[in-house]
Formats: sequence, structure tokens, C-alpha cells
Amino acid sequence: MNAVLYWTSTIAKSAYILVFPLTLAFFLAWAERKQSAVMQDRIGANRAKFLGRPFLGLVHMVCDAVKMFVKEDFVPDSGHRVLHTLAPFLAMFFALITFAVIPFGYQLTIAGETIGLQVADLNVGILFIFAMASLGVYGMVLAGWSSNNNYALLGGIRASAQMISYEICIGMTIIGAILALGTLSMQDLVIRQGYHYFGWLPRWGVLLQPLGFLLFFIAGIAETKRVPFDMPEGESEIIGFNLEYSSMKFAMFLFTDFIETVLIAAVTVTLFFGGWQIPWLFESGFVWPWGGGWEIHPNVVNILRMAAFAAKVTFFCWLMMAIRWTLPRFRYDQLMDLGWKWLLPLSLANIVVTALVVLLVN
Amino acid sequence: MGSATVKLTIDGREVEVPSGTRVIEAAKKLGIEIPHYCYHPALSIAGSCRMCLVEIEKFPKPAISCHTVAADGMVVHTDSGVAKQARAAMLEFLLANHPLDCPICDQAGECKLQQYYMTVGQYDSALLDNKVKKSKAKIIGPHVMLDSERCILCSRCVRFTDEISKSHELGIFNRGDHSELSNYPGMSLDNPYSGNVVDICPVGALTDRDFRFKVRVWYLDSAPSICHGCARGCNIRVDYLTRRLHHNDGKRIARFKPRFNPEVNGHWICDAGRYSYKTLEDEDRLYNPRVTDGNGDNPGWNAITGRIADALSSHISEYGVGSVAVIASASMTNEEMWAARQLFYDGLKIEKIAWRIPPGPDDIDDDLLIRADKNANTFGAEQIFGPMTHAADVQQVLDKIAEGKIKAWIVLDRDLSPAFGEEKIRKLTGGLKFSLYAGSHLHATSRSCRFLLPTAVFTEKEGTITNFSGRVQYFPLVVPPLGDALPMLEALSRLSAALKLEPISTDPGAVFTALAGDIAHFKGTSYAELIKRWAPISKIPS
Amino acid sequence: MAVQNIIKVAARRREATLGFWERVYIFEVVRGLWITTEHFVGNLYYHILKLFGIIKVHPLTPTIQYPEEQRTLAPRLRTLHRLVRREDGSPRCVACMMCETVCPALCIKIVAAEGDKPQIEKRPKSFDIDMGRCIFCGYCVEACPEDAIRMDTGILDIAAYSREGMVLDIDTLLSLQPAQRRTDKEVDELQRRLLQ
Ligand code: SF4
Ligand code: SF4
Ligand code: SF4
Ligand code: SF4
Ligand code: FES
Repeated sequence: MNAVLYWTSTIAKSAYILVFPLTLAFFLAWAERKQSAVMQDRIGANRAKFLGRPFLGLVHMVCDAVKMFVKEDFVPDSGHRVLHTLAPFLAMFFALITFAVIPFGYQLTIAGETIGLQVADLNVGILFIFAMASLGVYGMVLAGWSSNNNYALLGGIRASAQMISYEICIGMTIIGAILALGTLSMQDLVIRQGYHYFGWLPRWGVLLQPLGFLLFFIAGIAETKRVPFDMPEGESEIIGFNLEYSSMKFAMFLFTDFIETVLIAAVTVTLFFGGWQIPWLFESGFVWPWGGGWEIHPNVVNILRMAAFAAKVTFFCWLMMAIRWTLPRFRYDQLMDLGWKWLLPLSLANIVVTALVVLLVN
Repeated sequence: MGSATVKLTIDGREVEVPSGTRVIEAAKKLGIEIPHYCYHPALSIAGSCRMCLVEIEKFPKPAISCHTVAADGMVVHTDSGVAKQARAAMLEFLLANHPLDCPICDQAGECKLQQYYMTVGQYDSALLDNKVKKSKAKIIGPHVMLDSERCILCSRCVRFTDEISKSHELGIFNRGDHSELSNYPGMSLDNPYSGNVVDICPVGALTDRDFRFKVRVWYLDSAPSICHGCARGCNIRVDYLTRRLHHNDGKRIARFKPRFNPEVNGHWICDAGRYSYKTLEDEDRLYNPRVTDGNGDNPGWNAITGRIADALSSHISEYGVGSVAVIASASMTNEEMWAARQLFYDGLKIEKIAWRIPPGPDDIDDDLLIRADKNANTFGAEQIFGPMTHAADVQQVLDKIAEGKIKAWIVLDRDLSPAFGEEKIRKLTGGLKFSLYAGSHLHATSRSCRFLLPTAVFTEKEGTITNFSGRVQYFPLVVPPLGDALPMLEALSRLSAALKLEPISTDPGAVFTALAGDIAHFKGTSYAELIKRWAPISKIPS
Repeated sequence: MAVQNIIKVAARRREATLGFWERVYIFEVVRGLWITTEHFVGNLYYHILKLFGIIKVHPLTPTIQYPEEQRTLAPRLRTLHRLVRREDGSPRCVACMMCETVCPALCIKIVAAEGDKPQIEKRPKSFDIDMGRCIFCGYCVEACPEDAIRMDTGILDIAAYSREGMVLDIDTLLSLQPAQRRTDKEVDELQRRLLQ
């Protein structure tokens, strides 16, 4: 592959994988207000206007951003200035870096060269995700500790306890998926979901691992620290790790939650919903199960696949948002019960059963 | 009527009273209040209001209890159906022409019509006729305003002017429902006791022009006190405001009312005493310690007592203690006088303590209450300062200043200018080397002194005073002192501390005990006993 | 009926007998999601219609866009006070202090003065209501023997930049007008229009 193409494609891919979650996160912040309003028979934000029009409330998001930028950046006198500043960056960094291994499409052929649509095709991609997600907890803990505030510290501790508990479950369910699909590479995982049972039923992970999906999704929501699992922040009631944050740093924590939402959606799609796969769409076009098909240019096919991936992720973001506005918050003991007494044993059972089945089938 | 006492039954309870007692008084002895308007224990009996009707067995009709003399074996029912009905009907009759003035009537809240209407009234009026119109808001004297429509023609006020003040200004004119109370043509209700008719008027017909619209009576708190207007020491009730100070022009003390004490003033007080409350919080009050030739700021108590002590000590060491005189007020309490004696005579060895100023030519004793001596505690001063001083008369001190023998004075809460003339006082103090004034007000005398200490007026402190007949009377603190003012006792105590003399207690009780141990007149009297004698007050006058 | 239901529900709660499927929770979550999604889809449909101007009023969203739209006030609603005038324009108030006395928030301050006309004996020289303290209990209106104070201006947006600004003086209170009275029919009509 020639160097120019290599570098441009890599930079373009990195840009895409950065812009994609950030844009989605921005719209999630908007959806947070608008979707909840629509679900609750309200109208939602519509007072801020640009050129006399509210643009569906999007002007509010711009105003919020401006407000966040111009607010006083407060650091507690007795806090640890360096760590206090570092914490939101850490949280955001680990959330964003994870996207590097997510395959957002299959491949494009440009000037005879094939470009894989994934920034880094690590052969242990899934472990990379796991590792980065675990590091994200440092952001919360540091934020709580460096604020030198008891409430913030307790919030940070709550956050780490919760995230570690649920990461174990995430790890276990991922193992189930890996066993079923037999690879650690993210791209391979998606490719292996491209087959169809009986010639028409797409062999998505959710069919192989229905319980695994459920457990992963629950634990994933817990990872995003949002309702019903929002004990670390507990915005107005129990006060969380970000108590002493204001201005842009606070906004970064807020944004991290949305990026994590996108991330969990992306991983869910990749592991259980066929990633960029579209049923019956193959490299050369659609092949209908009832015979016949459409011939399509491979690059068009792959662009369709990228769109499919984006659409699936968006759907799961919407679903998580709907859950967030439907359920009440758990009590902390219920949260721990759920993590340790239900999700963990179930995911362990899931591994054992999957392993047995894989052994028998092979 | 052979025996001295009679026994009768009222509402099923037996009571023994001296013969000749009226039924209403006999009931009072049992704690039963029979509604009444025209009856007043200090006035003759008119029997005009008919409110006090009671049922007496074997009487053909209900009888007025204010006039019926109690007889042996009489059985009285004050609460029977007949009595109640009689009262309700009487009240309806009295209200037939009464205007609906309560919202603008100063009496509202302490009005007997309102009170009895609530307790014994007939709630549904059966009257259809228009009310008779009479004169309203008519000024009948310097202090009193008359609203004839509200008058129930009880004639208490007429009897007061006839029997107590003996000035005969008021009468009832015309007949039937056009009867109207008024002053006789060409006469104004201006006797020195005219304010009392406001107190005895059971309704809002006679109201106080001074108190008019100042504050609603239910915003007032009351405390018993002693009038400091003259040597009589009339017992009074101080009505004051603690909240809602946008009323009453922002002043706390709203009015003085008489407090019944048969041994001193009976039911009455004079107008001079009644309106003496005005000086208590006027604009001439001294709020802060001051040095008159200083730069005008408030040095604070500690600094100024220090400076006074320095100036006084250096004056004494230069000119000798004989060049210093103290002029005390004869209105200070017994305790303050004792403390002054301790500080200036025992401590500093000043032998000239003057208080005596002869009354002016217009001041005379009358045969009701007013005394020529306008100081509240001259008797106490004679007892406490009398035995030790070398100059009891203020005149003596002034003469010595003119001669140049006295070069410093300490004036305690007294203005000498009314008696001796402003000019003279200013000229004399001009020649003094040291002058200190401790008192409540700014006036010609205090303004010409160098050091000024603010002290409390009598409603802002507690203590005892001795009236002209030697009766010692206690009065309590009503409201806290204004500004930085302190009770005189406390001021003297701080002064003595600054001069490093024997400490003086700031507790009037303790000082009184010391005083009672020394001065013959007070021997055997205890402060606690005096407090006990301080009579309770009732808000609604009899 | 409704009360009985509530009692029944409460009784069921006391027994705390969640069935197995309820305890599993997942299905309950799905049920809840179903309800919210129903609302979401339904509302979204009308929002889109409205966006394209096909309908004017969203039928399912009762939001009132204050201050452009305002709720119809019930005729008896207690709103900002006003002082009523006599025919000759002077205040009806006679400074009897009934309202000041009854006010539980101690927010009325009246200073009385001698009347300025022959037929008026007593009048308020100043009459301040501190709207920052008023709790809109309406006792002052109840207590007034002269019907001199009313709470019928229909004004609810009472705001100022300082505490002093919240104190309304006698001139302001006298200058306020009663709110436009609507007939019951008009009120119904308005309500229906708003809820369409
Ligand atoms: S006299 Fe009494 S009843 Fe008559 S108007 Fe005055 S307060 Fe009311
Ligand atoms: S003015 Fe008062 S005291 Fe005099 S007659 Fe009338 S009601 Fe009685
Ligand atoms: S509405 Fe209530 S709180 Fe407000 S002024 Fe009237 S009495 Fe006071
Ligand atoms: S109650 Fe009525 S008449 Fe009395 S002061 Fe208040 S507003 Fe005026
Ligand atoms: S009190 Fe007896 S008649 Fe008036």
C-alpha cells in the first residue's frame, strides 16, 4: 500500500471515529431534553432562538456550550490542582480511545487498495475495550479524591465500587460471545455474524447469546453511570464525585457519560447485532432468501454497511435514553445485589453453558 | 339594720358583706363580674344604663345590682334566663343608635360595648329604624375629643367632673333619643384631671386627642410603673409597643394610664403625669457618651469613663476636693442616690451634694393628687443625702461658683435652667474647670458640661422611689434603654471602677438592701416585699 | 370508587407479594418501556404534523407557553392586592388595622392619619404591602370591614430587583385595576381552546 494512501486513510478513519461519537453525544445531550419531553407529554426546550427560530431546541445546546465555556472554572483551594484538572481528561480520554478498535464498516477499495474500516484491527480488540473501560474509573476516583470534599470522595468511591462490580459482569458476558464466535478480533467477530441460518436468519450474536446480550446490556448501562444506575453522580440528591467541578471540566464529565453511552451501544451492536452487517447483503449485493437479488457495487455495499452500523448504534442510544427516562434509580444495596448476586452468577452460567455447547457442536 | 354584716346568696354561693354594700360589689367579692356601664366604684350611683340587671328572688322585676343594697337572705341570680334576657335586651337598646364606628374608633379593643356584645349580646338585630345622627369628632378640651353618637349616656364623665375634679364642665342636654353629652357653653374640659374621663368612659365617646389614631390598642403591651411627674408617685400602667414600630411615630411608649391604688392615687392621675411620657423618647434624648469640645464622635463608655476619671483626679489634686460639688436630681431612685453617696461622699470625699430647688410660684399642692414638688423622690433625697451634705440647696452651690470657691461640678440627670435661667447657668459653667453631666436628656445644663454620659429614663430601668408621704414604691424595667444609654446605677458603677474606688453593685436589689441597712426610714423594708406590693394590672378600666 | 382502589392498592402493597415475573423485573421494565414508547411515538407523530404546519395545536401536550399563552384564571383566584376607591376616588380604607393585625406574614404596614375630608374621620397615610413576604392567604381581604382591599387584579408575575422593590405603596395599590371578569362560558371556551 502506498504511504500517502495509508496515512490519509488512517487520518480520515481516526477523524471519523472521533467525530462520530462526539456528534452523537452532542445529539444525545439534546435528546436528553427533547426525548424526555416527548415521552412525558411535554414540549421541551424551545425558548432559545436563532434568527427567531428555536431549531427544535438545538439552539439551547449551543447556548449551553457557550455557557459552559464562559463559566468560572473553579478549583477548590484545598484540592489537588493537577489531579483535579487531569481527572475529566482521563475520563474522556479512555472513553474515546476505545472507539479505535470498533469496526464501523468492512472495507473500501480505493485505487486498487483495500482499506479496512477500523482504526486499529488488534487481534485482541475485545480485551483492549475491556482494559480501557476499566481505566476510565480512574477519572471518577481522581475527581472525587482531588476535590478534597467528603461528598465528592464518597461519590468517587461509589463510582469505583459500582464500575468494578459491573466490569466483571461485562468481562464474563464478553467471554461468552467470544466462545460462541471463536475470535478476539473485533472485525472477525462482525464477519462471523454475516452468515445466515437456514439461509435467511442472520447469525447475529444475540441469537447465539440471548442471555449474554441481556447481561451485557444491563452491565453496560451501569458502566455509563446513568439512571437507573446513577449513584456515582446522583445529581441533585446524593451528590457525586463531580461536586466540585464547574465550567468545561464539569461539561467533560457530562459528555463522557454520553460518549460512554455511544460506546456501549457500539460494542453491543458489534458483539450481538452483527456490527455493520445488513441481513442478506453480501459483498456483491443483496441475495434474497427467496431467490434472486440486487447487484450492487462493493463500495456502495460498504457505505451502506457503515450507515447500517451508525443506524444500529443510534437505535441503541435511543433505547438507553428511553430506559433512562423510564426507570427509577436503584438503591445502592439493590445495585450491588444485582451486580454480584444476579448478573455475575448468570454470566458465569452463561459461559459454562456456551462452552459445553461449543464443545458438543464441534 | 341591726347587724354590721349581711349574708346573701349569689348564683348559689353564699357571701357575707358589710351592710350597705351594693349587690354588684358583693358579687365582685365572689369573683362574679356583673356587666355594667354607669357604675363606677369611685363615683356616685346613677343607675342610668340598666346593664347590671340581675334577677333577685321575690322581686317582681329584674333589679339593677349597682343600686340595690344587699340584704340578709337575699337570693340573687346573675346568670339566669331572666337576667341574661334583660341584659341582651338592654344592650340592644343601647346599640340602637350606636354607630358602626369600630374600625375607626380608638376604643375598639378595650371597649365595654364590644366586650359585652361578644359575651352577653343578642346577635340578631331586630331594629329597622334609622340611627339618630349626632355630632362627631368634637373637640371639647385640650386633651379630649367627644363623639356623641358613640355615647351611651352613662353619665360617668359628668359625675367625674361634678364629684372628683369639681369643675362641672360636662352635662347631658336634650331629651329622649336626642339626649346628648356636651360641655356647657363657653366651658372647655380643661381641668388638670381631664384625661381621666377618657379612662372611665366605657365606650369610645370620649377619646384621647393625644393618642388618637396613633396605634391600635391590641398592639400594645402593658407594664405597671410609677409616675415620676411629681412627689405623689401615682401608680400607672405603661402601654408600650415592641413590634410594629411604624405606629406611634416609631416611639415605644404609647401612653400612661392610671393604675388603681387606694393608698396613693385611687383611680386617677393628673394630665401632667399622663402626658409626661412624651419626654421619655423625644428628640432631646442623649444617646451616646460625648465630650462637648471633642470632635463629636462617640468615644464609648470605657474610653470616656477613663478620661473622666483622669480629669477628675487631676482636678482634685490641683484644687482640692472642696472645690467640687455634686448636683443630684431628686427624681433619681433611692438606689441611685445611695450609689451616688457611696461614690462621691464615701469614695471621693465630696461633701457638697445638692438637690433641693424650691418649687416655682405656679406649683402648688391641690387637694386631689397634684403636688407642688415636681421631683419624684425628694423624700428619699432628704433621707439619703440629708445627713451628710454640707450644701443641700442648689442655690448655695451656684453662689459658691459665682464666688469662685467651687470650680467643678457633677450634675446627675437634672436641668437647672428652668429654675435659674439658661443665661445664668451657661455663665456659671463657663467658669468651671471640670464639668460632668450624667443624665437622659440634652438641655441647657447638659450642653454646657464637658463630659456627657447618657443614662436611662425611668421606664428603662428598675428601682424604688419614695413619695412625699414616705411610701417606698417599686417600678420595673419596661423597655431597654435607647442607644448607648445605661441605667444611672450602672453609669455610677463604671465611674467608680474607672476611679478605682470601692465597687458599686449594678443590681438595684442589692443596693437597696445596703441602703435599708443604713438609713432609718428604709429599715425593715425588703426589696422583694416591694416587688410583691407592685399591683397587677387589668387592661380594661373599671 | 377511586378511593376504594387506592385502599386496595395500599393493601396489596402491605402484603408485598410481588409475583415471580414481577420480581424478575426485566418484564416489568419492558412493560414500562412499552408505555413510555407509546407516548413517545404518539407525541412524535403530532409534533411532526405540527412542525409541518398540518395541525396548529398539539393535542396530547398540555404545556402552556407562558408568557405568550396564559392560563385562564379562576374568578376567585387570589392575585395581587389592590385598594378599592370610593366614588370620589379616595381610598375606601379607614386604617382600622384589621388586615395588618390578621396578616400572618406581618407584611402589611399601615400608618393612620386624620381624615382629609369632612365625612372621612380616619384614613391611611401610608399603606405598604411587602409582596416579598405575602403568602397570598387572603386573610386581609376576609378581615376588611370596609371591602377596601381585594385580591382580584389577576396579576401573578410580581417581581423586583430588590427587596424594597417588592414593597408596594398606597399609590401603587390604589392604581391597580380589577382583572377583566370573564363569564363562566368564556372561561369554559378558553379552557377548551387551550386543551385542544
Ligand atoms: S365605642 Fe366601642 S362599640 Fe362603639 S364604635 Fe367605639 S369600639 Fe365600637
Ligand atoms: S361620654 Fe362616655 S362616660 Fe360620658 S356619658 Fe357618654 S358614655 Fe358615659
Ligand atoms: S394575603 Fe395574607 S399574607 Fe398576604 S397581605 Fe393578605 S393577610 Fe398578609
Ligand atoms: S382592614 Fe380594610 S379598612 Fe382596615 S386597614 Fe385594612 S384595608 Fe383598611
Ligand atoms: S351599672 Fe347599674 S345601671 Fe348602669
